[in-house]
Amino acid sequence: MMASGAAVLGLGILLVLLVLRVPLGPAMLLVGMGGYIALAGPEPLLNYMKTGAYWRFASYDFSVIPMFLLMGQLAVRSGMSTRLFDAANVFLGHRRGGVAMAAVGGCAAFGAICGSSLATAGTMSRVAYPELQRYRYSGALATGSLAAGGTLGILIPPSVVLIIYAVAVQANIVTMFEAALIPGLIALAGYLLTIAIYVRISPSAGPVGRRFDWSERLQALLETWPMIALFLLVIGGIYIGWFNPTEAAAIGAFGAALLAWLRGGLDREGLIESVLEVAQATAMIFIILLGADFLNIFLALAGFPAWVAEQAANSSLSPYLILTCMILFYFVLGCFMDSLAMIFLTVPVFWPIIAGLDFGLPPGDLQIWFGIIVLVVVELGLITPPVGLNVLIINAAAPGVTLRETFIGTLPFLCSEILRVVLLVLFPPIILFLPHLLN
Amino acid sequence: MNGFRHVVAKLSRWFALAGGSLLAAMATLVVISVLGRVLIGRPVPGDFEIVATGTAISVFLCLPWCQLQRGNLIVDLFLARLSPRVVAWLDLLSAALLGLLALLFAWRMALGWRDAIAYQDVSVILGFPLWWAYPFAVGSFLLLACACVVTATRGVERQST
Repeated sequence: MMASGAAVLGLGILLVLLVLRVPLGPAMLLVGMGGYIALAGPEPLLNYMKTGAYWRFASYDFSVIPMFLLMGQLAVRSGMSTRLFDAANVFLGHRRGGVAMAAVGGCAAFGAICGSSLATAGTMSRVAYPELQRYRYSGALATGSLAAGGTLGILIPPSVVLIIYAVAVQANIVTMFEAALIPGLIALAGYLLTIAIYVRISPSAGPVGRRFDWSERLQALLETWPMIALFLLVIGGIYIGWFNPTEAAAIGAFGAALLAWLRGGLDREGLIESVLEVAQATAMIFIILLGADFLNIFLALAGFPAWVAEQAANSSLSPYLILTCMILFYFVLGCFMDSLAMIFLTVPVFWPIIAGLDFGLPPGDLQIWFGIIVLVVVELGLITPPVGLNVLIINAAAPGVTLRETFIGTLPFLCSEILRVVLLVLFPPIILFLPHLLN
Repeated sequence: MNGFRHVVAKLSRWFALAGGSLLAAMATLVVISVLGRVLIGRPVPGDFEIVATGTAISVFLCLPWCQLQRGNLIVDLFLARLSPRVVAWLDLLSAALLGLLALLFAWRMALGWRDAIAYQDVSVILGFPLWWAYPFAVGSFLLLACACVVTATRGVERQST
Protein backbone atom coordinates (compact mmCIF):
# COMPACT_ATOMS: atom_id res chain seq x y z
CA MET A 1 0.00 0.00 0.00
CA MET A 2 2.79 2.40 0.96
CA ALA A 3 4.73 1.46 -2.15
CA SER A 4 1.80 1.95 -4.48
CA GLY A 5 1.36 5.38 -2.90
CA ALA A 6 4.91 6.11 -4.00
CA ALA A 7 4.00 5.02 -7.52
CA VAL A 8 1.02 7.36 -7.64
CA LEU A 9 3.19 10.20 -6.34
CA GLY A 10 5.80 9.35 -8.96
CA LEU A 11 3.27 9.47 -11.77
CA GLY A 12 2.07 12.82 -10.44
CA ILE A 13 5.60 14.18 -10.54
CA LEU A 14 5.93 12.80 -14.06
CA LEU A 15 2.91 14.84 -15.15
CA VAL A 16 4.35 17.98 -13.56
CA LEU A 17 7.63 17.45 -15.38
CA LEU A 18 5.77 16.99 -18.66
CA VAL A 19 3.81 20.20 -18.09
CA LEU A 20 7.14 21.94 -17.51
CA ARG A 21 8.16 20.82 -21.01
CA VAL A 22 10.67 18.19 -19.93
CA PRO A 23 10.75 15.79 -22.90
CA LEU A 24 9.00 12.47 -22.34
CA GLY A 25 12.08 10.24 -22.30
CA PRO A 26 14.14 12.22 -19.80
CA ALA A 27 11.04 12.81 -17.64
CA MET A 28 10.36 9.09 -17.38
CA LEU A 29 14.04 8.46 -16.69
CA LEU A 30 14.08 11.00 -13.85
CA VAL A 31 10.93 9.67 -12.18
CA GLY A 32 11.98 6.06 -12.65
CA MET A 33 15.39 6.71 -11.14
CA GLY A 34 14.03 8.81 -8.30
CA GLY A 35 11.44 6.19 -7.43
CA TYR A 36 13.97 3.39 -7.64
CA ILE A 37 16.27 5.22 -5.23
CA ALA A 38 13.39 6.03 -2.89
CA LEU A 39 12.32 2.39 -2.68
CA ALA A 40 15.63 0.54 -2.87
CA GLY A 41 18.41 3.03 -2.15
CA PRO A 42 20.99 4.27 -4.68
CA GLU A 43 23.13 1.11 -4.94
CA PRO A 44 20.87 -1.04 -7.17
CA LEU A 45 20.19 1.87 -9.52
CA LEU A 46 23.87 2.76 -9.90
CA ASN A 47 24.61 -0.87 -10.62
CA TYR A 48 21.80 -1.19 -13.11
CA MET A 49 22.98 1.92 -14.97
CA LYS A 50 26.30 0.27 -15.77
CA THR A 51 24.69 -2.05 -18.30
CA GLY A 52 20.96 -1.18 -18.41
CA ALA A 53 21.07 1.15 -21.41
CA TYR A 54 23.22 -1.28 -23.41
CA TRP A 55 20.95 -4.25 -22.84
CA ARG A 56 17.85 -2.19 -23.50
CA PHE A 57 19.18 -1.01 -26.87
CA ALA A 58 21.00 -4.20 -27.89
CA SER A 59 17.85 -6.03 -28.84
CA TYR A 60 17.19 -7.79 -32.10
CA ASP A 61 13.46 -7.26 -31.60
CA PHE A 62 13.91 -3.50 -31.26
CA SER A 63 16.06 -3.29 -34.37
CA VAL A 64 12.82 -3.49 -36.34
CA ILE A 65 12.03 0.10 -35.30
CA PRO A 66 14.96 1.90 -36.97
CA MET A 67 14.66 -0.39 -39.99
CA PHE A 68 11.01 0.50 -40.54
CA LEU A 69 11.91 4.16 -40.02
CA LEU A 70 14.53 3.75 -42.73
CA MET A 71 12.01 2.11 -45.03
CA GLY A 72 9.49 4.90 -44.45
CA GLN A 73 12.04 7.64 -44.99
CA LEU A 74 13.16 6.09 -48.27
CA ALA A 75 9.54 5.60 -49.32
CA VAL A 76 8.94 9.32 -48.82
CA ARG A 77 11.86 10.04 -51.18
CA SER A 78 10.91 7.47 -53.78
CA GLY A 79 8.13 9.50 -55.40
CA MET A 80 5.86 6.50 -55.02
CA SER A 81 3.18 8.64 -53.39
CA THR A 82 2.55 10.37 -56.73
CA ARG A 83 2.12 7.14 -58.62
CA LEU A 84 -0.07 5.56 -55.96
CA PHE A 85 -2.36 8.58 -55.97
CA ASP A 86 -2.46 8.64 -59.77
CA ALA A 87 -3.36 4.97 -59.89
CA ALA A 88 -6.26 5.51 -57.49
CA ASN A 89 -7.31 8.64 -59.33
CA VAL A 90 -7.64 7.08 -62.78
CA PHE A 91 -10.16 4.63 -61.36
CA LEU A 92 -12.08 6.94 -59.00
CA GLY A 93 -11.58 10.47 -60.32
CA HIS A 94 -14.64 10.61 -62.57
CA ARG A 95 -17.03 9.98 -59.68
CA ARG A 96 -18.49 12.67 -57.50
CA GLY A 97 -15.94 13.17 -54.71
CA GLY A 98 -13.70 10.72 -56.53
CA VAL A 99 -10.49 12.72 -56.33
CA ALA A 100 -10.86 12.89 -52.54
CA MET A 101 -11.49 9.14 -52.51
CA ALA A 102 -8.34 8.68 -54.56
CA ALA A 103 -6.44 10.77 -52.01
CA VAL A 104 -7.66 8.51 -49.19
CA GLY A 105 -6.85 5.41 -51.24
CA GLY A 106 -3.39 6.78 -51.99
CA CYS A 107 -2.89 7.43 -48.26
CA ALA A 108 -3.85 3.84 -47.44
CA ALA A 109 -1.46 2.43 -50.04
CA PHE A 110 1.36 4.73 -49.03
CA GLY A 111 0.70 4.12 -45.32
CA ALA A 112 1.08 0.45 -46.03
CA ILE A 113 4.70 1.09 -46.90
CA CYS A 114 5.49 4.08 -44.73
CA GLY A 115 4.07 3.31 -41.28
CA SER A 116 3.96 6.86 -39.94
CA SER A 117 0.81 8.93 -40.02
CA LEU A 118 2.57 12.26 -40.10
CA ALA A 119 4.83 11.27 -42.98
CA THR A 120 1.85 9.83 -44.85
CA ALA A 121 -0.24 12.95 -44.36
CA GLY A 122 2.66 15.22 -45.24
CA THR A 123 3.68 13.35 -48.37
CA MET A 124 0.21 12.72 -49.72
CA SER A 125 -0.94 16.28 -49.18
CA ARG A 126 1.89 17.54 -51.36
CA VAL A 127 0.81 15.14 -54.09
CA ALA A 128 -2.97 15.17 -53.87
CA TYR A 129 -3.85 18.65 -52.66
CA PRO A 130 -2.93 20.44 -55.91
CA GLU A 131 -5.14 17.97 -57.81
CA LEU A 132 -8.03 18.48 -55.39
CA GLN A 133 -7.65 22.20 -55.86
CA ARG A 134 -7.56 21.89 -59.63
CA TYR A 135 -10.94 20.15 -59.64
CA ARG A 136 -12.34 22.82 -57.30
CA TYR A 137 -12.94 20.61 -54.29
CA SER A 138 -14.03 22.55 -51.22
CA GLY A 139 -11.18 23.30 -48.83
CA ALA A 140 -12.90 21.47 -45.99
CA LEU A 141 -13.39 18.22 -47.90
CA ALA A 142 -9.94 18.32 -49.50
CA THR A 143 -7.98 18.85 -46.30
CA GLY A 144 -10.36 16.78 -44.16
CA SER A 145 -10.00 13.68 -46.29
CA LEU A 146 -6.22 14.05 -46.43
CA ALA A 147 -5.97 14.44 -42.65
CA ALA A 148 -8.19 11.42 -42.11
CA GLY A 149 -6.42 9.42 -44.80
CA GLY A 150 -3.09 10.11 -43.13
CA THR A 151 -4.20 8.29 -39.99
CA LEU A 152 -4.32 5.09 -42.01
CA GLY A 153 -0.52 5.08 -41.87
CA ILE A 154 -0.62 4.21 -38.18
CA LEU A 155 -2.98 1.27 -38.47
CA ILE A 156 -2.16 -0.44 -41.71
CA PRO A 157 0.95 -2.46 -40.97
CA PRO A 158 3.83 -1.89 -40.75
CA SER A 159 3.36 0.79 -38.13
CA VAL A 160 5.90 2.04 -35.64
CA VAL A 161 3.31 2.89 -32.99
CA LEU A 162 1.95 -0.65 -33.22
CA ILE A 163 5.44 -2.01 -32.58
CA ILE A 164 5.75 0.27 -29.55
CA TYR A 165 2.52 -1.08 -28.10
CA ALA A 166 3.71 -4.64 -28.68
CA VAL A 167 6.94 -3.79 -26.86
CA ALA A 168 5.08 -2.14 -23.98
CA VAL A 169 2.82 -5.12 -23.24
CA GLN A 170 5.26 -7.78 -24.50
CA ALA A 171 2.90 -8.89 -27.23
CA ASN A 172 4.01 -10.60 -30.40
CA ILE A 173 4.69 -8.02 -33.11
CA VAL A 174 3.67 -10.38 -35.89
CA THR A 175 0.31 -11.09 -34.27
CA MET A 176 -0.31 -7.37 -33.82
CA PHE A 177 0.46 -6.79 -37.50
CA GLU A 178 -2.02 -9.49 -38.44
CA ALA A 179 -4.70 -8.08 -36.16
CA ALA A 180 -4.37 -4.54 -37.52
CA LEU A 181 -5.07 -5.33 -41.16
CA ILE A 182 -8.85 -5.81 -41.14
CA PRO A 183 -9.56 -2.83 -38.84
CA GLY A 184 -7.36 -0.77 -41.15
CA LEU A 185 -9.31 -1.83 -44.22
CA ILE A 186 -12.56 -1.07 -42.38
CA ALA A 187 -11.25 2.43 -41.72
CA LEU A 188 -10.47 2.85 -45.41
CA ALA A 189 -13.96 1.67 -46.38
CA GLY A 190 -15.47 3.99 -43.75
CA TYR A 191 -13.59 6.99 -45.13
CA LEU A 192 -14.62 6.25 -48.72
CA LEU A 193 -18.23 5.89 -47.62
CA THR A 194 -17.98 9.14 -45.66
CA ILE A 195 -16.84 10.98 -48.76
CA ALA A 196 -19.66 9.42 -50.81
CA ILE A 197 -22.25 10.60 -48.27
CA TYR A 198 -20.56 13.99 -47.93
CA VAL A 199 -20.81 14.78 -51.65
CA ARG A 200 -24.37 13.48 -51.79
CA ILE A 201 -25.36 16.04 -49.16
CA SER A 202 -23.19 18.79 -50.54
CA PRO A 203 -22.51 18.05 -54.24
CA SER A 204 -20.55 21.23 -54.88
CA ALA A 205 -17.87 20.17 -52.37
CA GLY A 206 -16.57 17.36 -54.57
CA PRO A 207 -17.13 17.91 -58.29
CA VAL A 208 -16.54 15.11 -60.78
CA GLY A 209 -13.08 14.90 -62.26
CA ARG A 210 -11.86 13.68 -65.62
CA ARG A 211 -12.77 10.19 -66.80
CA PHE A 212 -9.77 8.11 -67.82
CA ASP A 213 -9.98 5.40 -70.47
CA TRP A 214 -8.80 1.86 -69.91
CA SER A 215 -5.43 2.22 -71.59
CA GLU A 216 -4.60 5.03 -69.16
CA ARG A 217 -5.80 2.91 -66.27
CA LEU A 218 -3.68 -0.02 -67.33
CA GLN A 219 -0.70 2.28 -67.71
CA ALA A 220 -1.14 3.64 -64.15
CA LEU A 221 -1.48 0.16 -62.73
CA LEU A 222 1.67 -0.97 -64.52
CA GLU A 223 3.55 1.91 -62.93
CA THR A 224 2.55 0.92 -59.42
CA TRP A 225 3.31 -2.78 -59.55
CA PRO A 226 6.79 -2.48 -57.95
CA MET A 227 5.22 -0.82 -54.90
CA ILE A 228 2.44 -3.36 -54.67
CA ALA A 229 5.00 -6.13 -54.98
CA LEU A 230 7.12 -4.56 -52.25
CA PHE A 231 4.15 -4.25 -49.92
CA LEU A 232 3.04 -7.83 -50.56
CA LEU A 233 6.55 -9.11 -50.02
CA VAL A 234 7.00 -7.25 -46.72
CA ILE A 235 3.61 -7.83 -45.13
CA GLY A 236 2.83 -11.12 -46.84
CA GLY A 237 6.26 -12.40 -45.91
CA ILE A 238 5.61 -11.59 -42.25
CA TYR A 239 2.12 -13.13 -42.31
CA ILE A 240 3.22 -16.33 -43.99
CA GLY A 241 6.26 -16.58 -41.74
CA TRP A 242 8.91 -16.31 -44.44
CA PHE A 243 10.76 -13.75 -42.39
CA ASN A 244 10.58 -12.02 -39.03
CA PRO A 245 9.66 -8.31 -38.77
CA THR A 246 13.29 -7.14 -38.70
CA GLU A 247 14.04 -9.07 -41.87
CA ALA A 248 10.89 -7.79 -43.52
CA ALA A 249 11.79 -4.22 -42.60
CA ALA A 250 15.34 -4.62 -43.92
CA ILE A 251 14.04 -6.02 -47.21
CA GLY A 252 11.46 -3.24 -47.37
CA ALA A 253 14.12 -0.61 -46.79
CA PHE A 254 16.17 -2.11 -49.58
CA GLY A 255 13.24 -2.18 -51.95
CA ALA A 256 12.27 1.40 -51.12
CA ALA A 257 15.88 2.51 -51.61
CA LEU A 258 15.93 0.81 -54.99
CA LEU A 259 12.68 2.52 -56.04
CA ALA A 260 13.93 5.89 -54.78
CA TRP A 261 17.22 5.45 -56.61
CA LEU A 262 15.53 4.48 -59.87
CA ARG A 263 13.44 7.63 -59.64
CA GLY A 264 16.55 9.73 -59.11
CA GLY A 265 15.35 10.83 -55.66
CA LEU A 266 18.38 9.40 -53.94
CA ASP A 267 21.37 11.53 -54.76
CA ARG A 268 24.16 12.15 -52.25
CA GLU A 269 22.33 14.97 -50.54
CA GLY A 270 19.06 13.07 -50.36
CA LEU A 271 20.83 10.11 -48.88
CA ILE A 272 22.54 12.16 -46.17
CA GLU A 273 19.29 13.88 -45.30
CA SER A 274 17.46 10.54 -45.04
CA VAL A 275 20.15 9.10 -42.80
CA LEU A 276 20.01 12.12 -40.49
CA GLU A 277 16.20 11.99 -40.32
CA VAL A 278 16.29 8.32 -39.42
CA ALA A 279 19.02 8.97 -36.85
CA GLN A 280 16.92 11.65 -35.17
CA ALA A 281 13.71 9.62 -35.12
CA THR A 282 15.55 6.55 -33.85
CA ALA A 283 17.17 8.43 -30.98
CA MET A 284 13.84 10.07 -30.12
CA ILE A 285 12.08 6.72 -29.79
CA PHE A 286 14.88 4.85 -28.04
CA ILE A 287 15.41 7.50 -25.38
CA ILE A 288 11.72 7.09 -24.57
CA LEU A 289 12.12 3.30 -24.53
CA LEU A 290 14.98 3.75 -22.06
CA GLY A 291 12.87 6.06 -19.90
CA ALA A 292 9.95 3.63 -20.01
CA ASP A 293 12.31 0.86 -18.90
CA PHE A 294 13.40 2.76 -15.79
CA LEU A 295 9.85 3.90 -15.04
CA ASN A 296 8.53 0.35 -15.34
CA ILE A 297 11.21 -1.00 -13.00
CA PHE A 298 10.09 1.54 -10.41
CA LEU A 299 6.39 0.82 -10.94
CA ALA A 300 6.95 -2.93 -10.72
CA LEU A 301 9.03 -2.51 -7.56
CA ALA A 302 6.18 -0.49 -6.07
CA GLY A 303 3.74 -3.26 -6.92
CA PHE A 304 1.79 -0.76 -8.96
CA PRO A 305 0.45 -2.99 -11.78
CA ALA A 306 -1.00 -5.51 -9.31
CA TRP A 307 -2.38 -2.69 -7.17
CA VAL A 308 -4.30 -0.91 -9.97
CA ALA A 309 -5.57 -4.25 -11.28
CA GLU A 310 -6.88 -5.06 -7.82
CA GLN A 311 -8.52 -1.65 -7.47
CA ALA A 312 -10.28 -2.09 -10.79
CA ALA A 313 -11.40 -5.63 -10.03
CA ASN A 314 -12.75 -4.59 -6.62
CA SER A 315 -14.53 -1.55 -7.95
CA SER A 316 -17.42 -3.78 -9.14
CA LEU A 317 -17.77 -1.56 -12.18
CA SER A 318 -18.65 -3.36 -15.37
CA PRO A 319 -15.55 -4.10 -17.51
CA TYR A 320 -17.16 -2.39 -20.49
CA LEU A 321 -17.83 0.73 -18.44
CA ILE A 322 -14.17 0.87 -17.47
CA LEU A 323 -13.12 0.33 -21.08
CA THR A 324 -15.49 3.08 -22.22
CA CYS A 325 -14.02 5.47 -19.66
CA MET A 326 -10.54 4.66 -20.93
CA ILE A 327 -11.59 5.31 -24.51
CA LEU A 328 -13.11 8.66 -23.55
CA PHE A 329 -9.94 9.46 -21.62
CA TYR A 330 -7.83 8.74 -24.72
CA PHE A 331 -10.14 10.92 -26.72
CA VAL A 332 -9.59 13.87 -24.38
CA LEU A 333 -5.88 13.17 -24.07
CA GLY A 334 -5.60 12.96 -27.84
CA CYS A 335 -6.56 16.61 -28.04
CA PHE A 336 -3.27 17.54 -26.38
CA MET A 337 -0.87 14.70 -26.77
CA ASP A 338 1.14 12.92 -29.42
CA SER A 339 0.16 9.30 -30.10
CA LEU A 340 3.52 7.86 -29.09
CA ALA A 341 3.41 9.72 -25.78
CA MET A 342 -0.13 8.51 -25.10
CA ILE A 343 0.87 4.88 -25.63
CA PHE A 344 3.92 5.15 -23.39
CA LEU A 345 2.11 6.99 -20.61
CA THR A 346 -1.16 5.12 -20.45
CA VAL A 347 -0.44 1.51 -21.36
CA PRO A 348 1.63 0.72 -18.23
CA VAL A 349 -1.39 1.82 -16.16
CA PHE A 350 -4.30 0.70 -18.33
CA TRP A 351 -3.05 -2.68 -19.49
CA PRO A 352 -2.84 -4.24 -15.98
CA ILE A 353 -6.37 -2.99 -15.32
CA ILE A 354 -7.72 -4.50 -18.53
CA ALA A 355 -5.79 -7.73 -17.97
CA GLY A 356 -7.48 -8.11 -14.59
CA LEU A 357 -11.02 -7.70 -15.96
CA ASP A 358 -13.20 -10.32 -17.57
CA PHE A 359 -14.15 -9.58 -21.16
CA GLY A 360 -14.70 -13.23 -22.00
CA LEU A 361 -11.42 -13.34 -23.93
CA PRO A 362 -8.28 -15.36 -23.17
CA PRO A 363 -5.31 -13.16 -22.08
CA GLY A 364 -3.49 -13.39 -25.40
CA ASP A 365 -6.55 -12.30 -27.36
CA LEU A 366 -7.32 -9.57 -24.85
CA GLN A 367 -3.87 -8.07 -25.40
CA ILE A 368 -4.40 -7.94 -29.16
CA TRP A 369 -7.95 -6.63 -28.97
CA PHE A 370 -7.14 -3.89 -26.47
CA GLY A 371 -4.03 -2.91 -28.41
CA ILE A 372 -5.88 -2.37 -31.66
CA ILE A 373 -8.63 -0.40 -29.94
CA VAL A 374 -6.03 1.80 -28.22
CA LEU A 375 -4.29 2.32 -31.53
CA VAL A 376 -7.50 3.41 -33.23
CA VAL A 377 -8.45 5.80 -30.45
CA VAL A 378 -4.95 7.21 -30.18
CA GLU A 379 -4.91 7.85 -33.91
CA LEU A 380 -8.12 9.86 -33.54
CA GLY A 381 -6.07 12.39 -31.58
CA LEU A 382 -4.25 13.22 -34.80
CA ILE A 383 -7.37 14.77 -36.27
CA THR A 384 -9.08 16.36 -33.25
CA PRO A 385 -8.66 20.02 -32.27
CA PRO A 386 -6.75 21.87 -30.93
CA VAL A 387 -3.47 20.09 -31.74
CA GLY A 388 -4.42 17.42 -34.28
CA LEU A 389 -0.97 17.04 -35.78
CA ASN A 390 -2.20 15.67 -39.10
CA VAL A 391 -4.56 18.59 -39.44
CA LEU A 392 -1.81 21.08 -38.73
CA ILE A 393 0.53 19.48 -41.27
CA ILE A 394 -2.09 19.40 -44.00
CA ASN A 395 -3.33 22.84 -43.25
CA ALA A 396 0.21 24.12 -43.67
CA ALA A 397 0.32 22.51 -47.12
CA ALA A 398 -2.99 24.11 -48.15
CA PRO A 399 -2.48 27.88 -47.99
CA GLY A 400 -6.00 28.96 -48.98
CA VAL A 401 -7.78 26.94 -46.29
CA THR A 402 -8.32 28.11 -42.71
CA LEU A 403 -7.60 25.79 -39.80
CA ARG A 404 -11.25 25.99 -38.82
CA GLU A 405 -12.32 24.76 -42.23
CA THR A 406 -9.93 21.83 -42.00
CA PHE A 407 -11.21 20.79 -38.59
CA ILE A 408 -14.79 21.03 -39.84
CA GLY A 409 -13.73 18.92 -42.82
CA THR A 410 -12.46 16.18 -40.51
CA LEU A 411 -15.72 16.02 -38.50
CA PRO A 412 -17.54 13.56 -40.79
CA PHE A 413 -14.50 11.29 -40.73
CA LEU A 414 -14.44 11.51 -36.97
CA CYS A 415 -18.02 10.21 -36.93
CA SER A 416 -17.03 7.28 -39.10
CA GLU A 417 -14.14 6.59 -36.73
CA ILE A 418 -16.34 6.62 -33.63
CA LEU A 419 -18.61 4.14 -35.33
CA ARG A 420 -15.60 1.96 -36.03
CA VAL A 421 -14.45 2.05 -32.40
CA VAL A 422 -17.93 0.91 -31.30
CA LEU A 423 -17.80 -1.93 -33.84
CA LEU A 424 -14.37 -3.07 -32.69
CA VAL A 425 -15.38 -3.00 -29.02
CA LEU A 426 -18.61 -4.91 -29.58
CA PHE A 427 -17.26 -7.44 -32.07
CA PRO A 428 -13.75 -8.61 -31.08
CA PRO A 429 -13.71 -11.21 -33.90
CA ILE A 430 -13.16 -8.38 -36.40
CA ILE A 431 -9.73 -7.97 -34.83
CA LEU A 432 -9.05 -11.56 -33.81
CA PHE A 433 -10.17 -13.31 -36.99
CA LEU A 434 -6.97 -12.92 -38.99
CA PRO A 435 -4.50 -13.77 -36.18
CA HIS A 436 -6.52 -16.90 -35.39
CA LEU A 437 -6.70 -17.87 -39.05
CA LEU A 438 -2.95 -17.47 -39.59
CA ASN A 439 -1.77 -19.19 -36.42
CA MET B 1 31.50 29.62 -26.94
CA ASN B 2 30.77 29.76 -30.67
CA GLY B 3 33.75 27.57 -31.38
CA PHE B 4 32.46 25.04 -28.85
CA ARG B 5 29.03 25.05 -30.46
CA HIS B 6 30.47 24.59 -33.87
CA VAL B 7 32.55 21.60 -32.79
CA VAL B 8 29.62 19.99 -30.95
CA ALA B 9 27.33 20.46 -33.93
CA LYS B 10 29.87 19.02 -36.36
CA LEU B 11 30.67 16.06 -34.12
CA SER B 12 27.00 15.30 -33.45
CA ARG B 13 26.30 15.31 -37.15
CA TRP B 14 29.16 12.92 -37.82
CA PHE B 15 28.02 10.67 -34.97
CA ALA B 16 24.49 10.60 -36.40
CA LEU B 17 25.75 9.89 -39.91
CA ALA B 18 27.85 7.06 -38.55
CA GLY B 19 24.90 5.70 -36.56
CA GLY B 20 22.53 5.94 -39.50
CA SER B 21 25.05 4.33 -41.83
CA LEU B 22 25.54 1.52 -39.34
CA LEU B 23 21.78 0.96 -39.43
CA ALA B 24 21.86 0.78 -43.21
CA ALA B 25 24.80 -1.62 -43.02
CA MET B 26 22.82 -3.86 -40.68
CA ALA B 27 19.83 -3.77 -42.98
CA THR B 28 22.20 -4.97 -45.71
CA LEU B 29 23.50 -7.71 -43.46
CA VAL B 30 19.96 -8.87 -42.69
CA VAL B 31 19.06 -8.95 -46.39
CA ILE B 32 22.21 -10.97 -47.14
CA SER B 33 21.31 -13.33 -44.32
CA VAL B 34 17.79 -13.84 -45.68
CA LEU B 35 19.16 -14.39 -49.20
CA GLY B 36 21.65 -16.88 -47.82
CA ARG B 37 18.91 -18.74 -46.01
CA VAL B 38 16.66 -18.84 -49.06
CA LEU B 39 19.28 -19.53 -51.75
CA ILE B 40 21.88 -21.77 -50.14
CA GLY B 41 20.09 -22.70 -46.94
CA ARG B 42 22.61 -20.91 -44.73
CA PRO B 43 21.99 -17.57 -43.03
CA VAL B 44 24.86 -15.35 -41.91
CA PRO B 45 25.99 -16.96 -38.65
CA GLY B 46 25.29 -14.87 -35.56
CA ASP B 47 23.29 -12.28 -37.50
CA PHE B 48 20.99 -11.81 -34.49
CA GLU B 49 23.74 -10.75 -32.14
CA ILE B 50 25.49 -8.56 -34.71
CA VAL B 51 22.23 -6.72 -35.38
CA ALA B 52 21.43 -6.40 -31.67
CA THR B 53 24.84 -4.96 -30.76
CA GLY B 54 24.86 -2.84 -33.90
CA THR B 55 21.46 -1.39 -33.03
CA ALA B 56 22.71 -0.42 -29.58
CA ILE B 57 25.83 1.26 -30.98
CA SER B 58 23.91 3.18 -33.61
CA VAL B 59 21.26 4.34 -31.13
CA PHE B 60 23.98 5.70 -28.84
CA LEU B 61 25.61 7.49 -31.76
CA CYS B 62 22.30 9.14 -32.74
CA LEU B 63 21.49 10.57 -29.29
CA PRO B 64 23.47 13.87 -29.42
CA TRP B 65 22.11 14.80 -32.86
CA CYS B 66 18.53 14.31 -31.71
CA GLN B 67 19.06 16.67 -28.78
CA LEU B 68 20.76 19.24 -30.97
CA GLN B 69 17.86 19.16 -33.44
CA ARG B 70 15.40 19.42 -30.55
CA GLY B 71 14.00 16.15 -31.78
CA ASN B 72 12.98 14.86 -28.37
CA LEU B 73 9.29 14.36 -27.87
CA ILE B 74 7.82 17.15 -25.77
CA VAL B 75 4.27 16.71 -24.56
CA ASP B 76 2.92 20.17 -25.08
CA LEU B 77 0.22 19.98 -22.45
CA PHE B 78 -1.20 23.36 -21.55
CA LEU B 79 1.67 25.75 -21.71
CA ALA B 80 1.75 26.13 -25.47
CA ARG B 81 0.63 29.72 -25.06
CA LEU B 82 3.35 30.69 -22.61
CA SER B 83 5.60 33.55 -23.52
CA PRO B 84 8.66 32.50 -25.53
CA ARG B 85 10.83 33.82 -22.69
CA VAL B 86 9.38 31.41 -20.14
CA VAL B 87 9.54 28.57 -22.64
CA ALA B 88 13.22 29.28 -23.25
CA TRP B 89 13.97 29.13 -19.52
CA LEU B 90 11.96 25.93 -19.06
CA ASP B 91 13.82 24.38 -21.97
CA LEU B 92 17.08 25.41 -20.38
CA LEU B 93 15.98 23.60 -17.24
CA SER B 94 15.11 20.39 -19.04
CA ALA B 95 18.27 20.50 -21.15
CA ALA B 96 20.26 20.88 -17.93
CA LEU B 97 18.46 17.88 -16.41
CA LEU B 98 19.11 15.73 -19.47
CA GLY B 99 22.74 16.88 -19.52
CA LEU B 100 23.17 15.71 -15.93
CA LEU B 101 21.52 12.39 -16.73
CA ALA B 102 23.85 11.98 -19.70
CA LEU B 103 26.90 12.60 -17.50
CA LEU B 104 25.59 10.07 -14.98
CA PHE B 105 25.11 7.48 -17.72
CA ALA B 106 28.57 8.21 -19.15
CA TRP B 107 30.13 7.67 -15.72
CA ARG B 108 28.23 4.47 -14.94
CA MET B 109 28.72 2.99 -18.40
CA ALA B 110 32.46 3.71 -18.21
CA LEU B 111 32.39 1.44 -15.15
CA GLY B 112 30.23 -1.05 -17.05
CA TRP B 113 32.87 -0.99 -19.78
CA ARG B 114 35.59 -1.81 -17.24
CA ASP B 115 33.46 -4.64 -15.82
CA ALA B 116 32.75 -6.08 -19.25
CA ILE B 117 36.48 -6.26 -19.95
CA ALA B 118 37.23 -7.69 -16.51
CA TYR B 119 34.58 -10.40 -16.74
CA GLN B 120 35.49 -11.10 -20.40
CA ASP B 121 31.85 -11.04 -21.51
CA VAL B 122 31.54 -12.30 -25.07
CA SER B 123 28.60 -12.80 -27.43
CA VAL B 124 27.04 -16.26 -27.52
CA ILE B 125 27.64 -17.40 -31.09
CA LEU B 126 30.45 -15.38 -32.61
CA GLY B 127 32.25 -14.74 -29.35
CA PHE B 128 33.07 -11.07 -29.97
CA PRO B 129 33.75 -9.11 -26.76
CA LEU B 130 30.69 -7.24 -25.51
CA TRP B 131 32.69 -4.26 -24.26
CA TRP B 132 33.03 -3.08 -27.86
CA ALA B 133 29.76 -1.22 -27.61
CA TYR B 134 30.66 0.64 -24.40
CA PRO B 135 33.16 3.17 -25.77
CA PHE B 136 30.46 4.30 -28.21
CA ALA B 137 27.99 4.62 -25.33
CA VAL B 138 30.34 6.62 -23.11
CA GLY B 139 31.47 8.88 -25.95
CA SER B 140 27.91 9.49 -27.10
CA PHE B 141 26.63 10.31 -23.62
CA LEU B 142 29.50 12.77 -23.12
CA LEU B 143 28.71 14.42 -26.46
CA LEU B 144 25.02 14.41 -25.50
CA ALA B 145 25.90 16.36 -22.35
CA CYS B 146 27.75 18.90 -24.52
CA ALA B 147 24.77 19.08 -26.90
CA CYS B 148 22.55 19.84 -23.90
CA VAL B 149 24.81 22.76 -22.96
CA VAL B 150 24.52 24.05 -26.53
CA THR B 151 20.73 23.80 -26.72
CA ALA B 152 20.26 25.25 -23.23
CA THR B 153 22.33 28.35 -23.84
CA ARG B 154 21.13 28.82 -27.42
CA GLY B 155 17.46 29.19 -26.50
CA VAL B 156 17.99 31.66 -23.68
CA GLU B 157 20.48 33.71 -25.66
CA ARG B 158 18.02 34.03 -28.50
CA GLN B 159 15.47 35.43 -26.07
CA SER B 160 17.78 37.98 -24.49
CA THR B 161 18.95 39.43 -27.79
